[in-house]
Amino acid sequence: MAAEEGSGRGGEKKSSPAPTKPVEAGAAKFLSGMPSRGNFSSGSVSSNLGGFRVYVCEHSTEPPEGQVIQTDSTNILIRHLQLKLKSEAKDAGSRTPGENTRGKRSAARSLDVNNSAKRANLGTSSGSSAHEETISGFSQHTLQSFTVERLRALLRQSGLSTKGKKDELITRLRESQG
Amino acid sequence: MSVWNYVVTAHKPTSVSHSCVGNFTSPNQLNLIIAKCTRIEIHLLTPQGLQPMLDVPIYGRIATIELFRPHNEPQDFLFIATERYKFCVLQWDAEKSELLTRAMGDVSDRIGRPTDNGQIGIIDPDCRLIGLHLYDGLFKVIPFDNKGQLKEAFNIRLEELQVLDIKFLHGCVKPTIVVLYQDNKDARHVKTYEVALKEKDFVEGPWSQNNLDNGAGLLIPVPAPLGGVIIIGEETIVYCNANATFKAIPIKQSIIRAYGRVDPDGSRYLLGDNTGTLHLLVLTHERERVTGLKVEYLGETSIASSISYLDNGVVYIGSRFGDSQLVKLNLQADASGSFVEVLEQYVNLGPIVDFCVVDLDRQGQGQVVTCSGASKDGSLRVVRNGIGINEQASVELQGIKGLWSLKSSFNDPYDMYLVVSFISETRFLAMNMEDELEETEIEGFDAQTQTLFCQNAINDLLIQVTANSVRLVSCTSRELVDQWNAPAGFSVNVASANASQVLLATGGGHLVYLEIRDNKLVEVKHAQLEHEISCLDLNPIGDNPQYSSLAAVGMWTDISVRIFSLPDLELIRKENLGGEIVPRSVLLCTLEGVSYLLCALGDGNLFSFLLNASTGELTDKKKVSLGTQPISLRTFSSKGTSHVFASSDRPTVIYSSNKKLLYSNVNLKEVNHMCPFNTAAFPDSLAIAKEGELSIGTIDDIQKLHIRTIPLKEQARRICHQEQSRTLAFCSFKYNQTSMEESESHYIRLLDHQTFEFLSIYPLDQYECGCSIISCSFADDNNVYYCVGTAYVLPEENEPSKGRILVFAVEDGRLQLIVEKETKGAVYSLNAFNGKLLAAINQKIQLYKWMLREDGTHELQSECGHHGHILALYTQTRGDFIVVGDLMKSISLLVYKHEESAIEERARDYNANWMTAVEMLDDEVYIGAENSYNLFTVRKNSDAATDDERARLEVVGEYHLGEFVNRLRHGSLVMRLPDSEIGQIPTVIFGTINGVIGIIASLPHDQYVFLEKLQSTLVKFIKGVGNLNHEQWRAFHNDKKTAEARNFLDGDLIESFLDLSRSKMEEVSKAMGVSVEELSKRVEELTRLH
Repeated sequence: MAAEEGSGRGGEKKSSPAPTKPVEAGAAKFLSGMPSRGNFSSGSVSSNLGGFRVYVCEHSTEPPEGQVIQTDSTNILIRHLQLKLKSEAKDAGSRTPGENTRGKRSAARSLDVNNSAKRANLGTSSGSSAHEETISGFSQHTLQSFTVERLRALLRQSGLSTKGKKDELITRLRESQG
Repeated sequence: MSVWNYVVTAHKPTSVSHSCVGNFTSPNQLNLIIAKCTRIEIHLLTPQGLQPMLDVPIYGRIATIELFRPHNEPQDFLFIATERYKFCVLQWDAEKSELLTRAMGDVSDRIGRPTDNGQIGIIDPDCRLIGLHLYDGLFKVIPFDNKGQLKEAFNIRLEELQVLDIKFLHGCVKPTIVVLYQDNKDARHVKTYEVALKEKDFVEGPWSQNNLDNGAGLLIPVPAPLGGVIIIGEETIVYCNANATFKAIPIKQSIIRAYGRVDPDGSRYLLGDNTGTLHLLVLTHERERVTGLKVEYLGETSIASSISYLDNGVVYIGSRFGDSQLVKLNLQADASGSFVEVLEQYVNLGPIVDFCVVDLDRQGQGQVVTCSGASKDGSLRVVRNGIGINEQASVELQGIKGLWSLKSSFNDPYDMYLVVSFISETRFLAMNMEDELEETEIEGFDAQTQTLFCQNAINDLLIQVTANSVRLVSCTSRELVDQWNAPAGFSVNVASANASQVLLATGGGHLVYLEIRDNKLVEVKHAQLEHEISCLDLNPIGDNPQYSSLAAVGMWTDISVRIFSLPDLELIRKENLGGEIVPRSVLLCTLEGVSYLLCALGDGNLFSFLLNASTGELTDKKKVSLGTQPISLRTFSSKGTSHVFASSDRPTVIYSSNKKLLYSNVNLKEVNHMCPFNTAAFPDSLAIAKEGELSIGTIDDIQKLHIRTIPLKEQARRICHQEQSRTLAFCSFKYNQTSMEESESHYIRLLDHQTFEFLSIYPLDQYECGCSIISCSFADDNNVYYCVGTAYVLPEENEPSKGRILVFAVEDGRLQLIVEKETKGAVYSLNAFNGKLLAAINQKIQLYKWMLREDGTHELQSECGHHGHILALYTQTRGDFIVVGDLMKSISLLVYKHEESAIEERARDYNANWMTAVEMLDDEVYIGAENSYNLFTVRKNSDAATDDERARLEVVGEYHLGEFVNRLRHGSLVMRLPDSEIGQIPTVIFGTINGVIGIIASLPHDQYVFLEKLQSTLVKFIKGVGNLNHEQWRAFHNDKKTAEARNFLDGDLIESFLDLSRSKMEEVSKAMGVSVEELSKRVEELTRLH
């Protein structure tokens, strides 16, 4: 484009300005309608609008109470186990009076108990599944991340065959959900 | 020099790492916030442009800044995380103009490997949590509760170890991060995780994308409703989102370093690459569905490290490698096809790779020439303290006794005449039609005698005061209108006048006050004082610019300055100055709205007082030494602001900044008289009478440090000055990027040291790069040479195994290669040493003799050497001693033994410091800078009892500077007055990656003790912004140890005493048991070190 401009300037006739018009310049059509909130609106932007005040902090800078943030120093694994225990305790506590004993739920719950130790190691996704997720809630993706043993446990819960390769187990599980 | 050191910043960091835009100072004010390593700058966006507001020092190196808006808050909060794992959340309190700390904390972990790719700090767009990636494999979450308060932080294990970028996705029900990472086969992928706050864990996110561009390095989250993320690679740009929309476009290979969002809906972005090209990325979309990507070229800018779209097509480009810029995006391309128009450039010295100190006038005042900037933004910067006068015209004139300018009429904006007074005559110069000065006559003036004062007065009159009379002359007819004669037997000694008043003193202490009324001079009042009057002034400082209600008078005998009221000539106040030196010039002035009385003595000292313009009360007396000769004071204005010029043997400009008086020396040798001479041809000029010369010149911008840029378009790496040939030589290199391959070419360039004109160039071989350069001479040879050390950096070698030493002579402004010597490694450092050449070559220190061969040519002959370093990178010498800064083995001291002609190790520091610069402060104490941003000093233990102890360099001082120092050199940026206390303090200058120029001054012990006490007192009164701790910040800290700062003082903190409010100053003074005046004086003295 620059070359074209150069030749245009060098050339003698001014009659064909059309092709070198900014239509050609790719960005032009995207540069219209820049967001504006009224700043930099005066024709010439002045460079001399005063200097900085150097900030000297004479006042107290103590944060409000309780806002000095520390990191939870519990080991991630231990914290995970503790949380699990707590949520199970809560689950157990809330479930008994609730009397909502749909088959799937209790199944999921007993499943939790069975596998709690193992799932702590898994580290992913198990946290949320601990108290509300049912088998049907597992996505293909989540199932993929489960171990074969866990899949087998799930199949057992649903009363399905536990034989075959992992992929087959997943397909079977998903079919049963579907 | 001594072990007690005072470290102060002369030039603050200028390299910009982050910037952001938001409503920080008020719900309806838009701010630009810029992070410059250890400082934060807050600007206000206005219709007129960018208005600077605050410059905030932070006790930490800023790792990330982010603006965010918690729920139910009318304005944004600022989140800052520092490299040493502290963070704070700041809120602006507009009422008190204070930065409140909303929260702060320490987010370090005891175990963890710090990330390689920089710390990441991000805030959820819905403000549910702050996410930090500080250690490999850990993601730290600081959750918000529903009131916007922060809660206890916790870590989540992140399986991806080599994280390149993490961002929060917009428009997600649960906070979701997207992680760009590299696996152990060096392939790059993105993955998403939901953060389950309750379970304190990740949940596998909605989508992921494997096998991206191998250069993918930057994520741009797209705001809702589009959502998703843009992944910027080196060859492709990809958009993906949860609905499996996947759009990709190829781009010309480039490394995008920075982006800025233009539209709030995220349909346009600005991208800046590592060659300084600005692109526009457009996300085309139909309703909420992204249909494509487009990248368009916009133009060239500095190499951007941060891009912030401000408003109305104006963009801030923050840069680490060049000047930051304010640019406007035009709708139409200019002739070169660029849409970018640079509105403003903000000087950035960083990275200062090397510098040299040049004392051109040999006055003891150095100017620093730095190698600044990188690749295309490379430049040399000439940094000097003080204000320059650019001479426009000069004429030889002997014996000038006074100088005034006059206008042709009272309301004329420009000056017309220049009145030059001599011992027995007065001459008048005027601008003619050709804008030349020629002699003229003003008929009504007395030209046969010395003029004491001249002034334009109301009603188009001119006043001339001579020893015998005061004359009033019409501007138009130039004829005498009225005259007041001195009483018989008395002559006028001193006089001053303004537009309507004249005050004069005749012998015997008579003070006479005249007013101009109806074109007549009326003697209004007369007073008899007990002593002779030495000087007086009635410059109007009140509301009326033509009439002053106060007059200042300086006295002989009792050495006092007095304030009289006008017109009744009543004594309001008398201030004894003490001492025996007579005041020679007084001046009433208003700077930045504050009124001052300045009183200059015959010995170069100056008193300043705060003046209450209505009551005449004088407070806050301060004394500074400007020179050694009598000073005469005069106001002038530059760019619409008024300043004071003090003429003496060390001319000084007195100006006000932050409502504080600052003194900046003028780069002229000696000035006897000065007057402003603002003509149409030479606007804002000054007429200056020097010894035997009258000159007219313009004055630089009034600021402390002056920076001149010499653009190179390539990067300078090493520089040195040679006084004898009046040249500077430097090593530089340049990237050549052809379509197929990139290569580097290296040069030695020669410049004139005054004009900075390029004189000569010497290209180095392929793969050869310049590593060191010095100017030196050898024993038995009177010539001065440039010696250059080089290395052949071959792509297949880890360490260079071959290099050269090149010896050049400058002949007729050309570099002439005299001698060339091959070495077995990179010549990292060169030093002149006992008439020989000392080179540090890889792990070896090698000494070369300068030998005359039979054919009359010279050669470098190896004499002796010393092994025992990892890489000897920096050497300094003093007498027979050599100090070596090693790549990783700290400092060692070697000694050259003449008799045996051998170099031996004398002592070393056994700490494992990775050095970046060394310098010898004196024979005993050496200073080093290392790569964790610390400074330390070591001392030779020559008096120790055992050999063991003697072989150890004792660490005597430690300090965390927070800046990566590339060079330490002896020198000073300011003029040293031989008779002042400060003049005796030796200083070292340092230059850093962020563009800081600093001073390390070695203090006498008693002063150190005093200032140490002041520092520990100030820490109690000046808090760290965000409640960051000063002691922790300045403590020596690297991977291996943390130790409290010792034998170093933080000059920036100490000098902020002067910025304290009066009441706080008094509290500090009470705690110190020293008066405020004394404290201010001592601290002000220190500020004159830089």
